[in-house]
Amino acid sequence: MAKDAGVDLLQGTLDMLVLKAVSLGPLHGYGVLLRIQQISQNRLEIQQGSLYPALYRLEHEGWIGGEWGHSENNRRARYYRLPRRDGAGSKLKPRSGTSSRT
Amino acid sequence: MNLFSRIATWWRAVAKRDELDRQVRDELEFHIESHAEDLMRSGVPREEALRRARAELGSLAAGRENCRAASGSRFVDELWTDLRYALRMLARSPGFAAIAVGSLALGIGVNTVLFTAAQHMLLDRLSVPHPQQLRLLAWTEPKEGAVESLWGWYDDLPGGGETSTSFSYPVYQQLRKQNSAMESLFAFKTLDRQTATIDGHAEAVTAEMVSGNYYSSLQVWPQLGRGIQESDDGPPGSGPVVVISDQFWTREFARSPHVIGKTIFFNMTPMTIVGVNPPGFTGAYSAQETPDFFFPFSMQPIAAPMKFGGSTSSSLLRNTNIWWVLVMGRVKPGVPDRTAAASFNVLLDAAVRATMVVKNNRQTPRMLTMDGSRGQNPAAEGLAKPISVLLGLGGLVLLLACANLANLLLARASARQREMSVRLALGAGRCRILRQMMTESLLLSLLGGAAGLALAYAVRNAIPRFMSNSWGPPAFSARFDWRIFGFAAGISIVTGLIFGLAPAWQATRVQVSSSLKEAAQTASRRQRGLAGKTIVAVELALSMLLVVGAGLFVQTLLQLGHSRLGFQPDRLLLFELQPPQTHYPGPANIPLYRQLDERLAAIPGIRSVALTSVPLVAGNAMTHTFIPEGQQRKPEGNPSVLSNNVGENFFSTYGIPIVAGRGFNSADTETSRKVAVVNESLARKYFPGLNPIGRTFEAGWNQPIRIEIVGVCGDAKYDHLRKDPEPTYYAPYWQNSNGIEQATFALATSLDAKTLAPTLRQVVQSIDRDLPLLDMRTQEEQIAASMQPERIFASLTASFGVLALILACIGIYSIMAWMVSRRTNEIGIRMALGARSQQVQGMVLREAAWMTLLGVAVGVAGALALGRVVASLLYGLKSWDPMTFAASALLLILVALGASWIPARRAAGVDPIRALRHE
Repeated sequence: MAKDAGVDLLQGTLDMLVLKAVSLGPLHGYGVLLRIQQISQNRLEIQQGSLYPALYRLEHEGWIGGEWGHSENNRRARYYRLPRRDGAGSKLKPRSGTSSRT
Repeated sequence: MNLFSRIATWWRAVAKRDELDRQVRDELEFHIESHAEDLMRSGVPREEALRRARAELGSLAAGRENCRAASGSRFVDELWTDLRYALRMLARSPGFAAIAVGSLALGIGVNTVLFTAAQHMLLDRLSVPHPQQLRLLAWTEPKEGAVESLWGWYDDLPGGGETSTSFSYPVYQQLRKQNSAMESLFAFKTLDRQTATIDGHAEAVTAEMVSGNYYSSLQVWPQLGRGIQESDDGPPGSGPVVVISDQFWTREFARSPHVIGKTIFFNMTPMTIVGVNPPGFTGAYSAQETPDFFFPFSMQPIAAPMKFGGSTSSSLLRNTNIWWVLVMGRVKPGVPDRTAAASFNVLLDAAVRATMVVKNNRQTPRMLTMDGSRGQNPAAEGLAKPISVLLGLGGLVLLLACANLANLLLARASARQREMSVRLALGAGRCRILRQMMTESLLLSLLGGAAGLALAYAVRNAIPRFMSNSWGPPAFSARFDWRIFGFAAGISIVTGLIFGLAPAWQATRVQVSSSLKEAAQTASRRQRGLAGKTIVAVELALSMLLVVGAGLFVQTLLQLGHSRLGFQPDRLLLFELQPPQTHYPGPANIPLYRQLDERLAAIPGIRSVALTSVPLVAGNAMTHTFIPEGQQRKPEGNPSVLSNNVGENFFSTYGIPIVAGRGFNSADTETSRKVAVVNESLARKYFPGLNPIGRTFEAGWNQPIRIEIVGVCGDAKYDHLRKDPEPTYYAPYWQNSNGIEQATFALATSLDAKTLAPTLRQVVQSIDRDLPLLDMRTQEEQIAASMQPERIFASLTASFGVLALILACIGIYSIMAWMVSRRTNEIGIRMALGARSQQVQGMVLREAAWMTLLGVAVGVAGALALGRVVASLLYGLKSWDPMTFAASALLLILVALGASWIPARRAAGVDPIRALRHE
């Protein structure tokens, strides 16, 4: 998969990538972007405009939680992480590709 | 966790908009800065880095909106937008808004007011804890059952036999002792018109006799002092205590706490006030009227002595023949009603046989339990049907207002077609547009509902004042509680849905491509006219129903007012006396009345005085068994006639002609033979073809007496205007060996009540200081009061009819005007091709005429069908009275054609050249 600017990922796929990125530790929005690029070895480009709505949607549905914190440069940033669960790790079911209008 | 996060984020998006916006903006700013920093690290200059970062992220505003939508706030946001848009549209057409909100306010307001009255009269429950647990005991028995003497409510059953809620006191005592199926049984009985003397001042009060466990069973705690207890209800005379109502306490004692322990005289018996009932407590009999005094049964023989059923004792507590107390109980948890009734059946049978002599194998009564949450609910009996009819009519008015609004909205919707097409073209779904249109309708209806509720609150006391006599206090005070509010809100929403549906549906049926074109004259347009015309026809049908209803009820009132009375009601002043039995037992009140007769006649300005024990046209009746000479008393049943004990000058005072024989004179004394004057109906029915003068008859059942007929008088209305005169006999009051408990004095005088009242009071008090004058009114006022229900109906239905005509007028005018403006093009073409203005006018009028005739025809059919429901409420005319129908139809046709006149003229005045240019 080359750096193809015209490939539109299905919504469900973006959610999975975000959750995968966040599962390794709390990240702010830009950090999620970088981590996804890192995981896909720079071969996937996420449309940046749809990142934050995805984050908010995941927060709305309870998959991730968000809270304010401080970045490395001591600037205020909003960090997202998976909610703490006792015992086994969270089971994530892949969402079937349902598209929703925004 | 899922739900919590959904609600939390949703709340943040909806309620803390600004906070969310700021948060998103901060996040996006941070993102841009971080991205720019990374770019700068790889060598891109600062300005360029920022520009690229911004470009990649996309529009900030779009990002903010998307994040909001992702938090689930779409529905609320769209609703808010729709509402603001709807308000703007309404503000731009204030005329339409005024008509729409106004007609809805009237429709909803009318229904709310009627519902308030209906709720109070029919639905209100006793204000005690858990009223739904109360059961009122009742019984049924066949025609000639064991029970013979009854004082209280009873009803005849369709298959013969009767039902009643009255029990004899000994039977009640047995039931209570042996009861195991219900929590304790308690008894009560209301009394009318007792005399209370407080600090030397006498007045009439109402009372309720209660058993010792009444307060504890009902779980009612007085706000001051104590209630009636078991210790008060022991041997006769053991409990001379009384608990007063909150209203009486306010009226007489100005809510002073010193009322406890005060001694007052109740029917000349000294009693001590020991408590004040909580406000709103109306006793156990009804939820509408509050007795002033509550005292124990043990005081009955002394404070309210009564002789019944041939008994010599004035105590009803030992009387086994007379059935009079009401009995209630709370259900025992775990015992269903049927089990309780069955167990009581056994107890009742045993109690009846133990306490009274059951004649000749007569059947003993069978027990029933009735819902007691509203007490005996005397108000519901006569009112259920009229109130339902009124509510139905109110519903029709509302439907009419809705139809009108649907029409107006349809016209507006067709004017907004381009707007809808643009929305559709931009990507709005059908559901979204439907939702927007429904939001507009619901907004309109909720505004109308709020206005209607305000209107109903403003006139909330109109109905109670309507329903009460002109000389008494208002029947009830209208209470506004959450049920009324819920009702108003409910019908607002339903009306919004009803009249909003048609226009909303129309709006989404728009064909995008054709309506965006400039000069669209597609075929689909013709069909849309049909919806509007159908609605107008429906409106006309509804108006026809309301106008016919108004015509029928107004005529009923007029017919009643002009019905032949049989006596002269003018210039007659009435007042009542109820000498307490404690002071005037039995016939002891006769000399009192004799004295009053003389003294009142001596007052200057009074032409003649007559006593009557049954005031005319007041709803009171007295009947006696009647056995004419030569016939035998039959065990299975004997005829009975109406009777009245009257004074010597009764016939001359009331102007009732004596057509044969004589009236009463001084030859008829207490000791001479008993005489009576009968009316023509009685003579015709029981002495057909014979001269009744000189003949005798036997009257009464317990102590039959033989009476000689000395005269025949003309027929006169007795208790109700609606009833034709029935066989009646009049006997001189001084020959009644039991005395007259409650007497009405009729004074023929030209003076009015205000002038005479002080003199009258003085005369009465010169004979007995403690006797209050009750209910002073004129005979004409009495008759007017008896026509109160008919008057209410006539006024309300007439207003509904007028409202209907106005709404129909507006509806027809608006639809015709809209149709003409829509067809301006077509009219221009017609005129250009040679049509004359008369022809165009005729064309418009013909369309209106078809609509009108269809609507009126449907309305006539509906009115004929529904007329049967209200037939029992009418008087003097049939429910299909042809004159009323013809007049209403004519009126509607004229109104409809009149409303279409202006649009027709406008159509005729169309300038063809301008019409063709204006596309």
